[in-house]
Amino acid sequence: MAVEAPVIGITILYFLAIIGIGYYSRQRLKSATDYYVAGRQVGAVVNGLALESTYLSPASMLGLPAYVFIIGYPFWWAMAAIIAGMPIATLLTASALRKYAPTSFADYYADRYNDQRLRWLVGIVTVIGAVLYITLSIVGMALFLLAIAKVPYIVGIIVGTIIVMLYVVWGGMIATSWNAAFQAFLMTVAAVIAAIAILVKLGGIDGFYTAVAANNPKFWNTPSDPTPPHLFSGTWIAVIGWFFVWHYGFATMPYTVVRFFTTMDIKTARRSIFWCTLAAGIFYMALQIIGASSKLMIETGPMGGKGANAVVILKNYMAQYGVGGWPDYSMVAAVEALQNPWILGILCAGGLAIAMSTAAGWVMVVNTLVTRDWGDLMLKSRYAKENPITLARIISVIFLLVGLGIAINPPGLVLDLSGWAFVVIISALGPGLILGLWWKRASRAAMWTTAIVMTPLHLYAWLKAKLVLGHHAFFFLNDVIFGNPKALITPHQVWAIPVGFILFIIVSLITKPVEEEAVQKYCVELTQEV
Amino acid sequence: MPWPPKVFWVGVVLYYGFTALCWLAEATSGINHIVGAPFWYASFLGTFLIPLLMSVIYFYFPERAEEARGGA
Repeated sequence: MAVEAPVIGITILYFLAIIGIGYYSRQRLKSATDYYVAGRQVGAVVNGLALESTYLSPASMLGLPAYVFIIGYPFWWAMAAIIAGMPIATLLTASALRKYAPTSFADYYADRYNDQRLRWLVGIVTVIGAVLYITLSIVGMALFLLAIAKVPYIVGIIVGTIIVMLYVVWGGMIATSWNAAFQAFLMTVAAVIAAIAILVKLGGIDGFYTAVAANNPKFWNTPSDPTPPHLFSGTWIAVIGWFFVWHYGFATMPYTVVRFFTTMDIKTARRSIFWCTLAAGIFYMALQIIGASSKLMIETGPMGGKGANAVVILKNYMAQYGVGGWPDYSMVAAVEALQNPWILGILCAGGLAIAMSTAAGWVMVVNTLVTRDWGDLMLKSRYAKENPITLARIISVIFLLVGLGIAINPPGLVLDLSGWAFVVIISALGPGLILGLWWKRASRAAMWTTAIVMTPLHLYAWLKAKLVLGHHAFFFLNDVIFGNPKALITPHQVWAIPVGFILFIIVSLITKPVEEEAVQKYCVELTQEV
Repeated sequence: MPWPPKVFWVGVVLYYGFTALCWLAEATSGINHIVGAPFWYASFLGTFLIPLLMSVIYFYFPERAEEARGGA
C-alpha cells in the first residue's frame, strides 16, 4: 500500500516539533536539579499531561484495543480501572512524596528505611524494568512507523532512538516534561479523531453498539450471559482479575512517582493528577471504541469483504511486516479501514508520541539512579559528583543504545516481559512505598525481603504460566491445585500484589521497626494533611 | 497510626461502589444488552467522569482544608 503525503508530512512535523522543544529546553538547563527534576518548576497542566503520556506506554495504544478486540466488552472495565488508579494515587503517595521532595526514586527507600544500601536493591529492580520498557517503547515507535508510514523497521528504531536521545541529552527532565506534555496532547487527539470518525461511520453510539453486536454477537456479553466473549472473560473472577491488573501501578511505578517530584508544590502535584485523569480518560474512551469496532472495521474495510476474517487479515499484516504479534496490528488496521490519510498521519504521530514519552520517562528514572544514587552517593565517585549532568547524559545514551540493541531483533518473550516488569515493580517495591508512608511498623527487613523474594518468585510464576500452562493470564498453580492449566484465569498481578503486601506485613511484624526519627518524619509529618 | 483523609475513602467507595452496582445490574438485569448502554455507564461514567470527579475532590477538599488552616 502506498504512503500518502499527509502521513509523511504529519510525521515529519511531529519529529521537528519535539526536536525543537528539546533544543529550546537545553537553554533552560542550569543545574543538576534542573536535569533530574526540572528544577521542581513544572506546572499542573504540563505535569498532568506528561504523567499521562509517560505512564501510558505503546502497550496502551496498541495492546489495550487488541485486548478489547480479543476479550470483548468486559475488558473495558480493566481500562476504566487503570484510569481510576490515577486519582487514587493523589492522596496515597503523590501528595506525601511531593511534600518530601526527593530527587531520585531510591531516595525515599534509603531515607524511610534508614539504609543507604537500598539504593542498590531498588535501583537493580528498577533498571531491569527500565531496560524492558525502553526496548518495548523503541519497538513501539518502529511499529507505528512501519505499519503506517511504511518506514523499514531498522530505520524506524534508529530514527526513534536518536530523536529521544537528542532531547533527553539536551534538556533532561525539562525537555522530557515539555515533550511529554505535547506528546500526551497529540496521542489523545489522534485517538479521539479516529474514534469519532469510526462513530460517525457507524451512525453514532447506538449505531456503533448495534453494528459491533451484529458483527460479533458475543462481544457485549458478560460472564452472566450463556456465551461470554472469550475464555479470559468467561467468569466474574476473571473480570475482577482484569479490573485490578494495572489498577495500582500509577501510585507506585518509578516513572510516575518521579513526576510527583518535579511539580512546584503539593497543590500542583494534586492538580496535575486531575489533568492527567482528564486527558487519559478521554484517551481511553477513544481506545475502547476503536478496540470494540476493530473486528468490524477490519472485516468490512478495504482489506476485508464478504466472509473476511479479521484474525486472518491481521496475521497477513504480521507476515508482511514481520514484527510483533498479530493483535498488535488491530488498532492500526481498524483506523486504516477509514481510508483517511490525515487520520492515519495523526495516528502515526500519536503512536510515536506515546512510545517516545515512555522511553524518555524511563531513561530519566535510570539516569538519575545510576548517576546520583550509585555513582555519587554509593560509590563516592568524584566524577559523578563534579559532572552529574554529563554523566547522566552518558547513562541516558547507554540505556537507549541497550534498548536499541535488543530492539534490532526483539525476542517475543522480552516484549511480553514488559508486562511482568510492571507488576514486579509494584509487588516488590510497592508495599515498601505505600506502607512506608502509612504504617509506622513497616520495617527495613520487610523491604529487603519483599524485593528479594517477589522479583524472582514473580518471574518464575510468570514464565511458568506463559511457557508451561500456555498463557500468562493463567494462574501459575492451576496444574498443581486444580489439575487443569486453564482452571483459574487470574492475571498474575492479581495474586502477586496482595502476596507482596502480605509478605511485607508479616516480616514487618516479626522484625525490628525502623528508628523512631525516620518513622516520625515519614508516617507523621509527610502523611498528615496530605 | 496515620490514616488517609476521609475524602480519600469517599472517592474509593464511590468508584468501587459504582463498579459493583454496574456488574450487579449486568449479571441480574443484563443492562449490557441495552443498545448503547455500556458506552454510557462503563466508558463515559466508569472510565471518564467518575475518575475525573475523584481527582477533583482529591484536590478541592485538601486545598479547602489548607485554606482553613491558613496555609497556602
